[in-house]
Amino acid sequence: MLIVVAFFAVVVVRLIDIQIVRAAEYDAASAGKMSLPATVFAPRGDITDANGIVLADAILKYDVTMSPRNAREFERGTGENMHKVSTEEAAMEIASITGQKPEDILGAISSSLTANPNADFAYVTRGVGVEQFRALNQLEIPWLYFEQIPSRAYPNGSVAGNLLGYVGSDGTALAGLELTQDSCLAGENGQETYERGADGVRIPGSTVTSVQAKQGSQLRLTIDSDLQWYAQQVLATQAQAQDARFGIAVVLEVKTGKLRAVADYPSVDPNNVDATPEQYRGSYAFAAPYEPGSTMKSLTAAMVVDTGMADHASRVEAPSLMEFANGARVKDSSDHDPNLTLQGVLVESSNVGMSLFGEGLSPDQRFSYMTKFGLGQPTAVGFLGESAGILYDPEQWDNQTYYNMFFGQGLAATAVQMAGAYQAIGNNGIRLPVRLVEECTSPDGAVTAPSLPESVRVVSASAAQEVTGMLEGVVTNGWLGPQLTIPGYRVAAKTGTAEMSAGDGTYSTSFIVSIAGLIPAEDPQYVVLVTLANPSSNSTAAVAPVIHDLMEQVVKQYRIQPSTSNSPYWPVTY
Amino acid sequence: MSMVAPVRRPDLGPERHLVPVTPSTSIPGSISWLHGVRRTRARRRPKAFFALVTAVVMFCVMIAQMLLSVALESGAYEIAHLQSANKEASRSFQQMTQDIDRLSSPQHLALNAEALGMLSNNTPAYLRLSDGAILGAPSSGDGFTRLVGSDGGTLVPNSLLANVPLVTSASLTPTGDAASHAAPAVADPNGAPAGLAPAAPVALAHGLPGLATH
Repeated sequence: MLIVVAFFAVVVVRLIDIQIVRAAEYDAASAGKMSLPATVFAPRGDITDANGIVLADAILKYDVTMSPRNAREFERGTGENMHKVSTEEAAMEIASITGQKPEDILGAISSSLTANPNADFAYVTRGVGVEQFRALNQLEIPWLYFEQIPSRAYPNGSVAGNLLGYVGSDGTALAGLELTQDSCLAGENGQETYERGADGVRIPGSTVTSVQAKQGSQLRLTIDSDLQWYAQQVLATQAQAQDARFGIAVVLEVKTGKLRAVADYPSVDPNNVDATPEQYRGSYAFAAPYEPGSTMKSLTAAMVVDTGMADHASRVEAPSLMEFANGARVKDSSDHDPNLTLQGVLVESSNVGMSLFGEGLSPDQRFSYMTKFGLGQPTAVGFLGESAGILYDPEQWDNQTYYNMFFGQGLAATAVQMAGAYQAIGNNGIRLPVRLVEECTSPDGAVTAPSLPESVRVVSASAAQEVTGMLEGVVTNGWLGPQLTIPGYRVAAKTGTAEMSAGDGTYSTSFIVSIAGLIPAEDPQYVVLVTLANPSSNSTAAVAPVIHDLMEQVVKQYRIQPSTSNSPYWPVTY
Repeated sequence: MSMVAPVRRPDLGPERHLVPVTPSTSIPGSISWLHGVRRTRARRRPKAFFALVTAVVMFCVMIAQMLLSVALESGAYEIAHLQSANKEASRSFQQMTQDIDRLSSPQHLALNAEALGMLSNNTPAYLRLSDGAILGAPSSGDGFTRLVGSDGGTLVPNSLLANVPLVTSASLTPTGDAASHAAPAVADPNGAPAGLAPAAPVALAHGLPGLATH
C-alpha cells in the first residue's frame, strides 16, 4: 500500500515539476522549434518619369546557398524512377543553370568544409532571377537553399542611369536619386511569427503579425525618358566621334524650371554598374563645375542692359587685343571688325568688347547679379555630389580675374547652373528653382512635392528680352548660324569655349566647348545646353550637331509650333 | 415503528410482513434482501440511464471536435497550397512585367524601328487640318537620318536586353507556320488576312474603321 502511495507521490511531484514549475522553459523550447519569425518584405517604391514610365522597379532576386556538410549523394525521383545523384552531377546541373563552372561549386564546398567541418552555410551564387531560381528549384537538390533578396531592375538601362543611381547587392541605395530620395522610396519590412508543423505547413490561427510591412512610396521625376534617351544617344554619338573626355546635355523647361533631360556621357547602366569606371557613375551635369567661357557673356550683357548702360545698338571700339589700366590683358579668339555694337560683341564673341561694356559695373553689382543668376550656390535639386561651382568674393578678384569674369573664365559653374541662368533670361528675367523631382506618392495616395526656394527676379523683363533678341542675332549672323538653324523656327544661342584648368593654377591646351540655346526665340519654352570636354576639333563646331538635333527633338516632343515671324536684324557693326 | 410502511405484494402470498432492511443489514440470499435490491434497482435505473446519456454526449462532442480539427487542418493544407500558388503567380507576374518594361525601353524600340527600315525625320513640320496650311519647312528626304546607326545600339546600353533578338532576326520572322500559330487572328476590317504582311496598301472601301457609338 505504502509503495503504491509512494509511487503515485513521485509521479505527482514529477507532473507538478513539468507542468507548473518548468512550464515556461519547455514552452519556449518547443516554440523555438515550432514557431518561426518570418520577414515580410516591403517592396521599394518605383521611380517613374514625368509620364509615368517606370524607370526603376522593385523585384525579388534569389541568393542560392548550400549546406556543405550535407552535400552528398542523394536520391531523386520516386518508386521505379529513383536514382542516385552524386555531388559532382548535382554541381554540373547547378552550374549549367547559373553559368558558373562546376569546379567552382565543388571548390566552394570543399573549402568551407576544410575551414569548418560542420559548415552549414555557403553561397553558391547571388542575385539570380526568377527563371534560374525556378530551374534550380526543380532540380530538388536537398542541400541547396534559397534566400529572397529584394533588388532593383532598371528596365530602360542606362537611360537616366546617371540620375537614378543604383542599389547594392542587398538592396540598399548607393548613389543618385536612390540614395537622396531613400526616405521616400524605402519601405519598412514587417515581421510575422507563425507556428508550423513538422511538414512545414502553417498551423492555422498561429500567425501573429508583430510588425506591419509598409510599402515604399513612388517617386515621379520631371524627366521625360524618351527625350532623355534621345539626348544621351546623340550626345554619346558625337562625343565618341570627337573623342571627347566627357559630355553633358541639359534640357530645362523655361516656364516651370523643370529638368526634362539631363544626359551625361559616359553614363552608368544601373543594371550593370561594374561596366562603367567609378568616376563616371554619377552625373557630371551636377557635380563637375567648369569655366563657362563665352556662354557667360549673355549674363554680362544682361547685367549691362538691366542697369541701363547699354542696349543692342550701343557701340564700342574693341581691338582684338587690349591691355587694361590695371594691367590685365584680354585677347579675342579671332580677328574682327573693331567697330562693334553690343549685338556684334556677342556675335563675334569678343572678350575685349564685353570687358569694355562691363567695365561700368561695380564689382559688388556684378557679384550680386551673378549670385541672383544662381552662380556660386548649388541648385534647388540637391543632387548627390552636386557642386556649388566656384565664385569668389569681389575682394578676392585679382586684376586679371576682374576682367576674365566678364567672359566666363575665373569662375566655375555646373551645366545645370548655367542652364538655370539661361532659364532666367528666357523667362523674362525671373529665375525659377531648378527641379528634378516632381512628387512622391505614398501607397495610400498622399502626394508630397519637394519644398522649393522662392523664385528670384534677376533682371527686368525688357532686359531679358533684349538679350534673347541679341542671342537670336548670334544664330542669324554668327559663323555657326547655319548649323544651328532649324527651318521654320527662331532659335537663340550662344557658343562658349573655355580653357580647361591644368590643375596647377594654369590653363591647359584643352577646351571645354558648350552651346546654350533658347527655343523658340520669340517666347522661349526650353533651354538646351550641351557641353563637350576636349573634343578633337577643339571648337564649338563639335557641339553644334548635338544641340541642333536636340533642339529639333524638343520641338517635336513638345509640339512647339513653328514661328510665325522673322528674326529682327540688329546691326553687328557700325 | 418503522419509517417504511409495509407493502403488501400479492405474489408473496397472504399476510406476509416485510421487514424493512437497509443494505448494511442485508443478509445475502434472504428474501428481504432481494426485496431491498429490487427497490434500489428501480432507483438505479435512471442513474444508469443518465450516465449512459452523458457518456454518449461526451463521445459525440469528442467526435465533433476531432472532425472540426480535421477540417481545420485540411484547410491549413489548402492555405499552404494556395499561398505557394500565389507566390508562383507573383513570380510570374514579376517576370512578365520586367519583360514588358524592357521591351518597351527606348533602345529596343529604336533598334527595332531602324531594323525594320524606319528613319527619323529631323525637320519638324506641321499640317494644319482646318485649312491645309503647311507650317514649318518640311524636307523631302534629306532630313531623314538613322538615329541609332549600325553599332549605335551600344551607346546607351541596357544590359537587360543582352539576349533579346531584334524583331527582324531569323528566329522571329513569322513563317507560314508561325502565322497560323499566332495569337488570335483578328479579322482586319479591310479583309486582309491576319498575320501576313500585305504586299501593297489595301484600298479602303468604306473609309477608316471607327467605333460604333450610341
